[in-house]
Amino acid sequence: MPPVISFENVCKRFGSVRALEAVDLQLLRGEVHGLVGENGAGKSTLMKVLSGVEHPTSGELLMNGSRVRLHGVPDAIKLGIVMIHQELNLVDELSVADNIFLGREFTHAGLVNRRRTEAESRRLLERIGHDLDPSKLVRMLSIADKQMVEIAKALSYNASVLIMDEPTATLTERESNALLELVGNLRQSGVTVVFISHILPQVLRISDRITVLRDGRVVTTLDTREVRQTSERDLASLMVGRSMTDYFPPRGPHWDDVVLSVRDLSVPDRVENVSFDVRAGEIFGLAGLIGAGRTEAAEAIVGLRHKSGGQIFLNGTPTRINGLVDATRLGIAYLAEDRKDAGLTLNMSIIDNTTLVSLRRYSNVILNRGKQKLATQGHALRLRLRAASLTEAVSTLSGGNQQKVLLAKWLEMSPKVLIVDEPTRGVDIGAKEEIYHLLHELAAQGLSCIMISSEMNELIGLCHRIGVMRFGRLVTILDGQHATEEQIIHAAGLETAGA
Amino acid sequence: MKRTTTLPVWIVPAIALVGLVAFTIIYEIATKGESILIKPENLLNILRQVSFVGIIAMGMTLVITLGGIDLSVGSLVAFLGGIGILFLNAVLSSGASEPVAVLGAFALIIVGGVVAGFINGLLVSKGKLAPFIATLGGLAAYRSLSMALVAGGEYRSEGSGLFGRLGAGGIAIPGTNIAPNAPSPVPLLFPWPVLIFAIVAFVAWMILNWTRLGRYIVAIGSNERSAIYSAIEVDRVKILTYSLLGLCTGIASLLVASRLASISSSSSGTLYELDVIAAVVIGGTRMRGGAGTIAGTVIGVLILGVIQNMLNLLQVSVYLQGLVKGLVIIGAVLLQRSERP
Repeated sequence: MPPVISFENVCKRFGSVRALEAVDLQLLRGEVHGLVGENGAGKSTLMKVLSGVEHPTSGELLMNGSRVRLHGVPDAIKLGIVMIHQELNLVDELSVADNIFLGREFTHAGLVNRRRTEAESRRLLERIGHDLDPSKLVRMLSIADKQMVEIAKALSYNASVLIMDEPTATLTERESNALLELVGNLRQSGVTVVFISHILPQVLRISDRITVLRDGRVVTTLDTREVRQTSERDLASLMVGRSMTDYFPPRGPHWDDVVLSVRDLSVPDRVENVSFDVRAGEIFGLAGLIGAGRTEAAEAIVGLRHKSGGQIFLNGTPTRINGLVDATRLGIAYLAEDRKDAGLTLNMSIIDNTTLVSLRRYSNVILNRGKQKLATQGHALRLRLRAASLTEAVSTLSGGNQQKVLLAKWLEMSPKVLIVDEPTRGVDIGAKEEIYHLLHELAAQGLSCIMISSEMNELIGLCHRIGVMRFGRLVTILDGQHATEEQIIHAAGLETAGA
Repeated sequence: MKRTTTLPVWIVPAIALVGLVAFTIIYEIATKGESILIKPENLLNILRQVSFVGIIAMGMTLVITLGGIDLSVGSLVAFLGGIGILFLNAVLSSGASEPVAVLGAFALIIVGGVVAGFINGLLVSKGKLAPFIATLGGLAAYRSLSMALVAGGEYRSEGSGLFGRLGAGGIAIPGTNIAPNAPSPVPLLFPWPVLIFAIVAFVAWMILNWTRLGRYIVAIGSNERSAIYSAIEVDRVKILTYSLLGLCTGIASLLVASRLASISSSSSGTLYELDVIAAVVIGGTRMRGGAGTIAGTVIGVLILGVIQNMLNLLQVSVYLQGLVKGLVIIGAVLLQRSERP
């Protein structure tokens, strides 16, 4: 099969930084091509070259055998190369149909022909097997549905190459499955799909071939036969360039003293009568689908959400927590799941972010900048934070390093209870491993940890016990040592057995 | 990864400062060094003229960095000054000593400013009103109140003139004499309002850069949600910041009232809010919050003052002066635009 796209010896430099180094890569017609690598490995840059955002410093890009030069995204789209970004580019206040044909409206006598726009949109949505009402406002849609609108929009350009950047990162298991099925169907109709993801099982499942990037170079491209024989761990090892045998640290022992007790916690419409205990040195996992009430329960514990009922005990004493300030005073820390919008203040420096929660420690009246810097340096060293300077804005860091700053910010207040919500989302494998080891180490020192995650393997790998939530209720608590993904899936309600 | 080309916050004031110096040099050359622009008397005069707006601009820098705005400051200057003078006159007519009456009036104006700021803070935090709307109400209401109390006329202070000492007076600068031909030397005065402006600027700079409150203001202005998730008591910080602006407005009002020993209910403080916000913007503080600079605002205030003074010396019609000011503001904002990703 002739390649649709060939990269030939493509290099890209940003100043002195070599983002891509002599990349040779072929994309075949009608294949799903997985693209994996740690953050900073060059995946985004490579795809920016393909979608016309960046210009290669040297090297050639060929399409159907002839050399192409792309001067911007419109050029790429004209050739049928469309990229769907992780942050979807839709206008919330416009309808589905208006979004699909934004900028290319069907007009009649100078006025927008709404009927035709909606009919064309319906046709596109049907082609991807989705019966979404084209007149609905995008604001009202779930993330999964928005994703479908993006795909329909891409197809409306007659896309022959579709680049999907982390399309399933914010989808539930069920939604992800639907999306993967759609990707399979697109392949049947001859579209080439580049599938970029950190979720390796999905990449292994859907891809015909997989290219692994590391430090701007192609490590290898696995063909279909090799893909079938590769395990998730093998792929991870290829990405980081060393064997990943101790990915999860061994579970440490925990003490018997209960530190945090949650009794009959309720949040209107979200959480119902949730009770559990967390002991000193224990990592307690919370599994469940998106919308099962895990984040809401955590936010109610730390006072970010109004409780309609229930009581929180700390070391056996009932607490009054009416806001996050009360929780932090008691030594309960909460790392929000939305790192960019809730966890960190992106345009402030690493030092400012790290000390923001515990700022009281650094000032009587006037801030002690030297002390702030010293404390931040300590965390940076311990967490192996990679940053050019601690006065750098957090926005310039990679996902993994941002997550480390978020951890530093809450470790800085010396918590007794640490609640982490999706601590490894959008974080590369190397940093993930470091975060696992850090949580393990903190627990070994006696910290109680509640870990909310949608990645079942990390809950199973790390937690002493795993509570599973469904529709706002805590339906079961599994022993982490012996829990299986099937047990969690079953309890979380992916199958409708035993309601 | 998204690349954001964020220029440092001082870039706009730096360019503005260079512009100011260049402007002055050109002006000096054009007038063959005969103008009075850079004579000490005139410079002190410019400083005195800008100090009222400048003091309010210090508080406004904090509020805009917080992600807010306050349109009520100009009307508040007239209202606070007015009730201060009414109070002064009432106390004097009751037979109290003048120093007591003057101090009482000063205290009333300042406390009134803090209360007004506190109310604005409550409206935007607990009341969840958009700052523009909440303070637009104040803009209309305070002006109307101050005019209603004297039927659109003037508040005129009574007494022997002690009330006017602070706004019009100053510290004698030793070794200076502005009337060489007079029988006894008349020293140049360093105006009290300028000194107070300098103190307020220093305190505001300390608050923004060297205190917890300052970090919280920047954090809230950058991203309110992440501030909430960082255990910052956002409502308290907002109320406090607006109250500080109220305090600045009170101080400015006191000096305005004292300078002429009177307040015109219709014209005192009129359009101050625009000059204040213009100074903050020219100074490089980001209108959407999250980055502010006190030094920049001071430069912004000086630029507005110098331009106005030059235009006066050049005898440009007052009707045209707004045009120049407008162009400078738009130029500053255009420079800021390049900061956006």
